[in-house]
Amino acid sequence: MESLQHFLLNCFSQHSGLNSALLYAAILAPLIMGGLLIITDKLPASTEKLLASIGFAIPALIAIWLWSLYNASLGAPGIFNDGGWQFITTFDTGLSRLGISLKLGLNGISAPIYLLAGLVGAAAGFYAFNAKVENPRVYHGLLLIMLAGLMGAFSSIDIFFFYFFHELALIPTFIMLGLYGGRQSRSIALELTIYLTLGAMLSLTGLIVLYVKSGVNSFDLIALTTQLADKPLPENIQNYAFGMLLLGFGTLVSLWPLHSWAPRGYAAAPASTAMLHAGVLKKFGLLGLIQIAAPLIPMGAAHWAPLLMWLALGNVLIIGFVTMAQDDLKQMLGYSSVMHMGYIFLAFATLSTTGIGGAVTLMVAHGLSAALLFMLADMIERRTKNLDLGELGGLVRQAPTLAAFFVVATLASAGLPGFANFWGELTIFTALFGHSKLLAAGAIVGIVISAVYGLRAVSKIFFGEPTEPMSQFLKTNTITDLSAAEKRPAILLIFALLVIGFFPKLITESINAGARRLYADKPVMTATAQPTSPVASTQASH
Amino acid sequence: MQTPVTLLFLILLIPLISGILIGLFCRKQGALAMVLSVGSAGLQMALCLYLLWSEAWDGTTIHLNYEWMRLGLFSFNLGFLFDKNAALMLFVVNFVGFWIHLFSAGYMKDDEARGRFYLGMSIFMFSMTGLVISSNLMMMFIFWELVGFSSYMLIGHYLTKNAANAANKAFIVNRVGDFGFLIGIIWAYWVFGTTDIATLQSLVAQRPDLLITPISLLLIAGVLGKSAQVPLHVWLPDAMEGPTPVSALIHAATMVAAGVYLLGRIYFLYTPTALDAIILIGGITAVFAAICAFGTRDIKKILAYSTLSQLGYLVAAFGLGTEYGHRPEVIAEHGANAAALFGVGAANFHLTTHAFFKALLFLGAGSIIHALHHEQDIFKMGGLWKSMPVTSITFAVAVLAITGVPPLAGFHSKDAILYIAYLDNPITFYLLTGTAMLTALYMGRLWFVAFWGKPRSVNASHAHESSWVMLIPLIVLALYSALGGFMVMYPRALHFLLHDSVLHPEGASYTLMLAISLIAGIGGLVLAAVIYKPGAAEDRVQQKAPALYAFFASKLYFDEIYTFYVKKIQDRVAIILNFLDLFLVGGLLVRGSAGMVGLLGMISKLSLTGNIQTYVYWFLIGIIGFWLYATGVF
Repeated sequence: MESLQHFLLNCFSQHSGLNSALLYAAILAPLIMGGLLIITDKLPASTEKLLASIGFAIPALIAIWLWSLYNASLGAPGIFNDGGWQFITTFDTGLSRLGISLKLGLNGISAPIYLLAGLVGAAAGFYAFNAKVENPRVYHGLLLIMLAGLMGAFSSIDIFFFYFFHELALIPTFIMLGLYGGRQSRSIALELTIYLTLGAMLSLTGLIVLYVKSGVNSFDLIALTTQLADKPLPENIQNYAFGMLLLGFGTLVSLWPLHSWAPRGYAAAPASTAMLHAGVLKKFGLLGLIQIAAPLIPMGAAHWAPLLMWLALGNVLIIGFVTMAQDDLKQMLGYSSVMHMGYIFLAFATLSTTGIGGAVTLMVAHGLSAALLFMLADMIERRTKNLDLGELGGLVRQAPTLAAFFVVATLASAGLPGFANFWGELTIFTALFGHSKLLAAGAIVGIVISAVYGLRAVSKIFFGEPTEPMSQFLKTNTITDLSAAEKRPAILLIFALLVIGFFPKLITESINAGARRLYADKPVMTATAQPTSPVASTQASH
Repeated sequence: MQTPVTLLFLILLIPLISGILIGLFCRKQGALAMVLSVGSAGLQMALCLYLLWSEAWDGTTIHLNYEWMRLGLFSFNLGFLFDKNAALMLFVVNFVGFWIHLFSAGYMKDDEARGRFYLGMSIFMFSMTGLVISSNLMMMFIFWELVGFSSYMLIGHYLTKNAANAANKAFIVNRVGDFGFLIGIIWAYWVFGTTDIATLQSLVAQRPDLLITPISLLLIAGVLGKSAQVPLHVWLPDAMEGPTPVSALIHAATMVAAGVYLLGRIYFLYTPTALDAIILIGGITAVFAAICAFGTRDIKKILAYSTLSQLGYLVAAFGLGTEYGHRPEVIAEHGANAAALFGVGAANFHLTTHAFFKALLFLGAGSIIHALHHEQDIFKMGGLWKSMPVTSITFAVAVLAITGVPPLAGFHSKDAILYIAYLDNPITFYLLTGTAMLTALYMGRLWFVAFWGKPRSVNASHAHESSWVMLIPLIVLALYSALGGFMVMYPRALHFLLHDSVLHPEGASYTLMLAISLIAGIGGLVLAAVIYKPGAAEDRVQQKAPALYAFFASKLYFDEIYTFYVKKIQDRVAIILNFLDLFLVGGLLVRGSAGMVGLLGMISKLSLTGNIQTYVYWFLIGIIGFWLYATGVF
């Protein structure tokens, strides 16, 4: 372990130029491969697959590498890094007149999200090879462009490009939903497009307000932070700017009651698209609130936080109940995803290090588990041509591995210890309780609700005897267990959930350092004892 | 200090490693999974016994803490708190755990999914061991949930609809309890700044004003779920859908006792009001479940209600003893430290003996069920003395132990509980004595009907004794059920809690207690023989007094009330909210108001072209235009 740490630190300090270049590579590799796949149509299938594989794999490898370096640098002597930006690199886009330049880098909060994007990108990409679609070349190409947008958005320091890359990822989402979506996908795609575009436009307007009012003539988040810390905006401007950002980002993250695009959108989207959107792209709005909105205009955030908490409780409780009533598996997963956003919003609204820490941890965990669930639901649908919970049943006999994976994913999503989600939820509940006992109790009801709908789905799909429609289906079809190509992406995600579940420090160290730079520790403990200090102690007493 | 810590690490990690190996490689190799799981349980027991017998551990508290993660003000530690209480529980879990593992090697021999079964068993052993030695409440909560998960997994083992429903019920009802438990833990964290059990104890001693009743009551909520106390008891009878070794290990001897263990682990965190609540809950559960035991013919369900009733006993015993230990005159006589442990001692002593005889009862039932091809109706058994002598004799020992016939283990521990009830709270004393009588009565019903008389079904007449791999565990557990009241059966380290912390009657009260035990125990058995008749083919109470039987069988309509809640309230609220969500939030509010601001025109135009790409192209053109403008091209 020591030598690994040493090696990573060495790479961190000696090759900073190379590491920064990797940030570009993570965007360009999928972008180029995606472009190639869409433009050309004469390549043999194997070459297409190779190109796509390269495009899906490179961002994941780079993300793992940079995240390892970032972690190694935390608190290391000599190059002490307390969660601030690293690997910073700037590329002149010719827009400097407007204060726009392509500035990339990672900080304590974005590094784990960047890792999430890489991992889910690879899982979604490799799973996409299983999909039976009309034009796989274009499908893979669009997914790659989406992935490029994701890698760009989560490594942007310039908030214009933060937004731009989000759009780069969003547009392929719309197209894929329209081209490859399931039931009534056109009208759903339209609704989703309208919602998300409106949300994005509102947040863009909010960002432009910050840009204009700050007077730094730069979209650079670092410059903006310095400036606004020095000369905070007047309270009324903060209030309406944050309101705009909250409404915009809130729509993108399906804050209640702006969520109605999400469940049907995810139910209709092709699996890999839903994985990338629910798992990763949705985190854009949260990251915007956590990294940009609240730190730059804290008074505005404090002004809106109480309202936000009640809306977010709506996400947990109202949508939680709605989730229980769903009969369509994918729609249920969509609602469940909306419900979990409520936890993250609640934690964000505490505007404390603890809350933000829990929020970012759950963002990573939810990204992995939601992507996994959408993928498994698709595997079920491909086998049974059915997602109606009332009509499935007894699948465990034909597909035991699928059943095992689904149970694992469901319990991870319900916050079972041993999986990453648990740490996010536990921290969030703790943060909330310090803020308001009532809200915390309301949010903790969620652990019962998510168990109710999750286990209901498991027992309806996998346990018991096949239902009447299923036995009819089984007469003419055989259901097989997972193929190796299906297993691999699922195992990748389960592995990530378990590793973080057992060793949460892998992500929480950098998240904690990052959160401490932007937020304050609060509230103050009421008691005499402070949390025990981070030392291993052995003591013997009678 | 190094050796005991290393041993504890090994005891904790061996089942985890076994679980990982089974999960990765042995899902289809049942025999290999069996060897790994039973082997790891054996190794665990061996190490545990070595730790306790060899005096590698000198009895001092081992307290280790390591920060596992930190986010803002929230810090989470992993660690060990190994004291005499933990040592006793570790002994019970590992000792009973191994013998049940060995039994299941025979019982599950022909099961198709042995790999999955042993995976669950290994996960359980890991989680339960972790629960026992956790140093803080948050860490305990982790293992608390994990034992719940393994219980879920094993209840659902047979994959039928009933098994699935039972597994879901167990998990969800436990989550309801955990809801309160978790709030209690977090509340304690904010009040005390830590959930480390040892630190909490010294903090409460310094600042008793910080301890408030809501925290105590919320912490009890976890006990209600895990130890299946009224009103969260409904999952345990259903949990009998799982394989019988699972019922013995998880739903009788160890996991359901975790709630009682928790009570003892944080005995200093209960206010007087909370202690009253504990006594009340335990007392009600003890009587209520004993009555329910008369209303079922299923051997495992009878034992499940018996477990519920005994768990109520344990919970009440803890409350009574701790309350008694708080009395000024008792503190003056025994010293504050010793008096504070009277509840823990009484509850844990009976917890230990109960683990032996209840595991034995379940394994005996398993042996019968196995021999009778899954016949579970006691009225269709009979004539087992001849065909299954070892099972019958060991089962008889367990019956006598649970009814509290001297000098068997149950006599000593039940006696201690009744005595402390006698000292502390007369009403509860009568209640618990009555329950002891009922216990003897329903155990007598089970025993006289199932074992005596002539075989009353084809399966029963073809019964034959189980294999030795199943009988050896029965014999070992019978030995402990018989002699578990004597300290010579236990390592020295355990005597502190099993003996020194337990108040035993002396002199006149000894005679009184002995008389009560004999009357309740022997009297109950005799009464059972009179009422139910050995070898009866039908429930005579059901025939002679159908109304009374119906009352027993109704189980006070708890299940009906919960079903009513779920179907008529929860599900309807969900459907109504779903409707509102679809049509109000999704349909009118959002789409409607969007229309108000004049976007509808634009949207409908776009939708008329019916083409998303149109929209996307406009967007791209806009971006390019913006770019060109900004860079000064035009």
